[in-house]
Amino acid sequence: METFLFYLFAGLMLGSAVMTISSRSAVSAAVWLIFSFVNAAGVFALLAAPFLAILQILIYAGAIMVLFLFVIMMLQGPVLPAERERRSLWKILLLGAPAAAIAVTLISWLSQSGLTAFAVAAPETAGTAERVAELLLNRYLLAFELISIVLLVAIIGALALGRKEEDLPWQ
Amino acid sequence: MAIGLTHYLILAAAMFLVGMVGVATRRNSLIMLMSIEIMLCGVNVVFAAYSRVHGDLSGHVFVLMNFAVAAAEAAIGLAILVEIYRLRRTVNVDELKTLME
Repeated sequence: METFLFYLFAGLMLGSAVMTISSRSAVSAAVWLIFSFVNAAGVFALLAAPFLAILQILIYAGAIMVLFLFVIMMLQGPVLPAERERRSLWKILLLGAPAAAIAVTLISWLSQSGLTAFAVAAPETAGTAERVAELLLNRYLLAFELISIVLLVAIIGALALGRKEEDLPWQ
Repeated sequence: MAIGLTHYLILAAAMFLVGMVGVATRRNSLIMLMSIEIMLCGVNVVFAAYSRVHGDLSGHVFVLMNFAVAAAEAAIGLAILVEIYRLRRTVNVDELKTLME
């Protein structure tokens, strides 16, 4: 069962990621990416990380992708012409061939190494919200506070960038 | 064959490579930002997989940090894009070469 679910989630996640980078319009790319992130949540659930699975859907598929879609709708209204892209085949091959070579090397290297079996995840190591929060607010308290400062700075930066020139206080 | 660490690492490497190819080949900067999110997602899978192997939840905390960084990156990146669009009426990176000339 786990095998089936892994291949289902992994295949859909990778397939829709490929659709994201190959679709012509930005809107369909964003919708494929949402689907990819929902399947990533399934992969997290298989990795005994239910809290991360829920956060993946809430933050990535919910918040971040909605932000993307808003910006796409704002920019790609009637004004934006169809995407003019020079997508020459040799360029894609030039970049895809090294990527494929790296992938093949990694796969052969990884499948030779003996790290194939998980230690059986005991029930008390599943990443529920309670256990992750305990770790986050004890051992990683400083990192937790710092990351909230990063988010605060990002909010202020986005606000400052989004305002009109004459509204800025230093103008 | 049972699903092990290797499968998850291969999945993560493939996700990272898909994102890398996306950043390198696409010229629409919105889709380039999405490719960066794909790469971050691949990294998150590695953290969660090793967290399970070691039976230590520290990896999950790192994934949480990654979520926050991805959110900050998306917010700032999209704000910059909106500003560029206001000034130049395009989001195609091939047409943004003022510094090059």
